Formats: sequence, C-alpha cells, structure tokens
Amino acid sequence: MPLRAFILFVGCLALFGAAGLPALAHEGSGYGGGFIAGFTHPILGWDHVAAMVAVGLWGAVLGAPSIWILPVVFPLVMALGAVAGILGIPVPAVETGIALSAVVLGLMVVFAARPPIWIAAVIVGAFAIFHGYAHGTELPATVNAFAYAIGFVISTGLLHLIGIAFGLLVSRPGGRIAVRAAGGVISLAGVAFLTGLA
Amino acid sequence: MTPRPARLAGWIVPTLCPGAAFAHAPVPGIKGFYIGLLHPFSTPAQALLMLGVGLLAGSFALERAKAPIAAFVGLSLVGLFAGSAEWVLDPAMYGIAVIACTHAALAPGRGVPLAALVLGVGGLVIGAASIPDAGPARDRAFTMTGSLFGAGMGLLYIAGLSAIVKERFAAPVVQIGFRVLAAWTGAIALVMLALLYAQPPAP
Repeated sequence: MPLRAFILFVGCLALFGAAGLPALAHEGSGYGGGFIAGFTHPILGWDHVAAMVAVGLWGAVLGAPSIWILPVVFPLVMALGAVAGILGIPVPAVETGIALSAVVLGLMVVFAARPPIWIAAVIVGAFAIFHGYAHGTELPATVNAFAYAIGFVISTGLLHLIGIAFGLLVSRPGGRIAVRAAGGVISLAGVAFLTGLA
Repeated sequence: MTPRPARLAGWIVPTLCPGAAFAHAPVPGIKGFYIGLLHPFSTPAQALLMLGVGLLAGSFALERAKAPIAAFVGLSLVGLFAGSAEWVLDPAMYGIAVIACTHAALAPGRGVPLAALVLGVGGLVIGAASIPDAGPARDRAFTMTGSLFGAGMGLLYIAGLSAIVKERFAAPVVQIGFRVLAAWTGAIALVMLALLYAQPPAP
C-alpha cells in the first residue's frame, strides 16, 4: 500500500508538472523577487551545489560534532565573504577558489579524511569566503536585499542538509561506498569547473 | 445525527449567518497600542534583533535565562525614555543580532553574563527604536506601552517556544536545528549590516 501511495504521489507530481503553464504575474522585484533570486543563486550554479553538498557529506562522514559544526560555520563565514563582495573588498581568484572547494571537499569525502575538528572548520570556512563573495558581488541591484539574503542563506543550508541526508547512508551496508563515490563525482566535477570543461 | 455531523453543522451554521463586523477598537487610542505591539518586528533590523536575542535566551534553561531576559526588559524601558526618534539604530541592531546569533550558534546555554550583556544592549536599542514621532502625549503613551509590551512578549514567545520544542523533542538533531537557525539568522544580519555600508551602484 505505501508503494502504491508513493507511485500515486509521484504520478500526481508529474501530472502537475506536465500541466504547468508559465506564470506571468511576477515582476522580479520586491520581497518575492528578492527571495527567489537569492534562493536560486546557489542552486543554479553547479559549482556552488557541488561544494555545498560536499560540506554536508563530509560532516556526515565525520559524525558528531562535525555534522553540525560544519553547517553552522559555513553560513557565518560565507556571510563574511558576502560582506567583502558587497563592500567591494578585492578577493583574488574567486571562481578558482569555488571550483577548488569542490575538488578538495570531494576528496575529503572520497578518502573519509578525519582531521581535527578545528582544521575541518578552517578548511570549510576558507572556501565559504569564496562562495559568499560570489553571492555578495552578484546581488542584483533591483531586488530586495533582505529577501535575497534570506533566500541564499536558506538555499545554502538546504544544500548542506541534502549532503547530510545522503551522507547518513554511511551507517548502512554499501552506503559508505555510495557516499565516497559521491565525493568522487563532486571532486571530478570540481576538476571540470577548474579546467573550464564545465 | 452522529456526533461528527452535528459538530460540523455546529461550525457551518454560524458561518451562514454572519453579522456586520465591528472591527473598531472600543477604547479610544488603543490603535496606537496595537501599532506599538508589532513595532519590534516591523523592520528587518528589528525582526532580526528580536529573533537573535530570542534564540540566545532560548538556548539557556529557563532558570538561567531569567537574568538575560530581565536585562532585556529593564533596559528596553530605559531605552524607551532615554532614546531619541532621530537616532539611526539599524547598524547597532544588525550588529547585536550578529553577536547574539553567533553566541547562540557556537556556545548555546553557556556564558550567562555575556548573554545578559547582549540582551541588555539589545533591549536598550529596541526600546530606543520604539519612540514614536511627536504627537499627543496620550497617543504616544499608548504606542510606547504597546512597543514595550510587544518587545517583552516577543522575546518570551521566541525563547519559550524554543525551550518547549527542546523539552518536547530531546533528540540531538533538535538542538542542532536551533544552532543552524541561529547561524543562518546571524549570516543574514551580517549581510544586511554590510549592505548599510555598501556604496550605491554607479548610475
């Protein structure tokens, strides 16, 4: 019965998705436009997605307390990066730093690296600067800044949660291989971003 | 008629015979009180400050949170009378929100004196931000009373809600959730603080 209910649910979702029409009522400004712009900014950039998910995966691989320290440290330091971007403080090699974050964090998951917690926090925090800087410099002038900030922070956090949720598979048979393989995929994607292949 | 349809009918019948809505407050001037009540949550700076200090107060056991909450309420009264409507307080509010959220995210339930200091300054600022514009003394008194009441009740609701959730759901993930919420709120406050000092884009 639960399987039938699940299939019905997925079927309904697909039906609604297929029957969707373009919404023409949005003007892209105000709170709604700002939130959507902020929320989609990390999601629409694959380099951001790869790194955010990798943070969650690594936290799950490391276990407590890293599983919560990394997602707590990341948004706070990312905000500092956003401050630098908004104030126009120059930060070198931002795109390289973002791509490198996917490579390094992916490798940490592949090798199930277990450095001391403060080193893990410093690694994650250092890369968070680059991601925050990109969000800060690309803040559209026409949208509501408050809603944009809420959107990109929530979106980043949800990407961490996706990584953590997938990373929790490490405690299941075969899950450890799946999680480490996911780290490998993220790392390879980072190499592609770094070399300009993607 | 079974009890369920009877209950349903009991709900539906009153909706079919509505009377005219008399939405006007019966007490002259009470509208200012209602405006004041919502004032501590009326701007992003004030809302983030209230959420930040609420999360910080809620990170303590209720017994230990008494001093920080008392500092907030007491100093919000001081701010209400010592402040000026001319003061620009948004930077201070965002800054205090960042400090409160960082404290709540990284060291929840620890450092009562520091929390009392942060909540006290937060109360002072929220009180100073709640001073109404010039007008009849009676209306101003209503609005200021509402602001004071709204700030205190808002803090108690946020802190109390987090305490109740943590008490009902003892799983570690709940505690983690509050830390993450505090970190996210602090991050948003920090970005907003930076935006206050950002150069306007070139035309």
